[in-house]
Amino acid sequence: MTRVNTADLAFGLFLMAVAAVALYLIADLPMGSTSRMGPGYVPRALAVMIALIGAFIAGRALVAAGEAFPDIAWRPILLVGAAVGLFGLLLPRLGLAATAFIVVLVAGSASKDMRWKELVTIAALLSAFAVLLFVKALGLPMPVWPVN
Amino acid sequence: MDLIANLATGFSVALTPANLAFCFLGVLIGTLVGVLPGIAPITTIAILLPFTFTLPPASAMIMLSGIFYGAQYGGSTTAILVNLPGESSSIVTCLDGHQMAKQGRAGPALAIAAIASFFAGTIATIIIAVASVPLSVLALKFTAAEYFSLMVLGLTGSIALAHGSAVKAVAMVLLGLLLGLVGIDVNTGLPRMTLGIGELGDGIGFVAIAIGLFGISELMVALSRPQDRTLLSVALSQLWPSRKELKDCVPAMLRGTAIGSILGVLPGGGAALSSFASYAVEKKTSATPERFGRGAIEGVAGPEAANNAGAQTSFIPLLTLGIPGNAIMALMVGALMIQGIQPGPQVMTAQPQLFWGVIASMWLGNLMLVILNLPLVGLWVSLLRVPYRILFPAIALFCCIGTYSISNSQLDIGLMLLFALVGVFFVKVGAEPAPFILGFILGPLMEENFRRAMNLSRGDPMVFVERPISAALLVLTALLLAVLILPAVRAKREEVFQE
Repeated sequence: MTRVNTADLAFGLFLMAVAAVALYLIADLPMGSTSRMGPGYVPRALAVMIALIGAFIAGRALVAAGEAFPDIAWRPILLVGAAVGLFGLLLPRLGLAATAFIVVLVAGSASKDMRWKELVTIAALLSAFAVLLFVKALGLPMPVWPVN
Repeated sequence: MDLIANLATGFSVALTPANLAFCFLGVLIGTLVGVLPGIAPITTIAILLPFTFTLPPASAMIMLSGIFYGAQYGGSTTAILVNLPGESSSIVTCLDGHQMAKQGRAGPALAIAAIASFFAGTIATIIIAVASVPLSVLALKFTAAEYFSLMVLGLTGSIALAHGSAVKAVAMVLLGLLLGLVGIDVNTGLPRMTLGIGELGDGIGFVAIAIGLFGISELMVALSRPQDRTLLSVALSQLWPSRKELKDCVPAMLRGTAIGSILGVLPGGGAALSSFASYAVEKKTSATPERFGRGAIEGVAGPEAANNAGAQTSFIPLLTLGIPGNAIMALMVGALMIQGIQPGPQVMTAQPQLFWGVIASMWLGNLMLVILNLPLVGLWVSLLRVPYRILFPAIALFCCIGTYSISNSQLDIGLMLLFALVGVFFVKVGAEPAPFILGFILGPLMEENFRRAMNLSRGDPMVFVERPISAALLVLTALLLAVLILPAVRAKREEVFQE
């Protein structure tokens, strides 16, 4: 049993962290005056407001009725995430045909009722479809085959 | 009559073969994603956005807006036949529409949904055409102070209408505003929060954020839910509603259109809210409220008219003021900016072809939708047999290609992945991404107008309340906030979103 509202606490802390990072990044930017605002004025004001709201949400979560963080299904997050990452890494080297095939295979295995034969077929079809539609028909400038 | 001349200009643009084709493509894709649960119109528009880059501006906008209102039609089909709302705006259509289908009256339910949508779409198109001229004339008088106040009102509206906690929605708006400021400061040329990455000088890629939050993130969340669909095999023997049913529906359609047209214009408003409000009104005003939820045809006609009217009139603030009222309109701003067009009141005079062409295409699109939906309803339903496990890898791939194609940048793919993960976190903690994306789009605009207004007033913040239009907008904002805080409204709001 948890004694705090975990989801709200996490969101509150997240907001405070984002605000802290933003304040650190803009620390050197001039504030200016109210009539001639510098580049640091508005971001700083926003970051402070975000930090305050984050503190409020986190504080409220501490006194609220206990609630566990919702369950996270890691399999789709990791596999779909990996597929996206692979696309970014592989496309400039392997070209669209091979990359699309790999991306569909990896993403497709995220589903519990995935069937291998079916998935390989879909991957091949989608790879061909993507090349025809995006490169041949729409003329997007991306390599189709591996680049040396 | 200027109006007739303007509409004539519009139709001359919208009726060119190419634009008719793009309009058709838009409503076709819209119907498709409307029918398929799990792909929202906002995701689709985000994915297709990069590919509109090569189109002329009018064609791009005609197609993208077709997707939006097309999805309202498609969503009701699945709501009625399968009890699955394809879109959030068709949730209430499930209540009575599916009951009608169970009683063997699926045909009349589908027909009345299409008729109501078409009727509302026609009226809404006229409203847009009539209202936009005076509104953009008014908007040309706006100075920085008015623009700033208007955006404050818009963001407050998106907070009021966000699902779940209002405090979290405020936080999301502020986060969006802050992230919108990443990049080179226009006034001084100094980089802000770019981590020294040159590519971030132009800001975080809008498409990468939108597809990450609404496309990839949605896939990750949807896959963790069980994917089962039971199809109700309905006989579509009789399609047309009886004369009496039609007559019963006319007042509901009129009220729905009125509600949708008003709520659509409101900042943060749009299709979903309109349909909820219309259903509530129909139930309240009906002489026989007990029929609702058991297959009352008014319960289909009203909300279906309302969601289509709301979907269309939500274009008004975008087209006339250049301020997006909801997340989908924020994407439309993105689409215009890709084309090198800064949305605002000047678009109507500087780009009349674009402006009136899009408006005229809405009516043509609605006509196509009626033709597309009624005879082909069997085809759309059979699409539901395509399993999600086949669909989602394709969506993932298209998201990647779309984001990458914006500037052939690996950084964009990385950002998309980052925002997909953040998006899952947002879903888990109950924070809605729509106010975030609105804040993100408005961030730079708001800062610029705020700084300019304060500069002109020599640092006196009273400028925002001394100018009458600005003051009126701020009073509206304050009223909205006051209403939000009222305990009775808070309880009601939670109740509405619970349903």
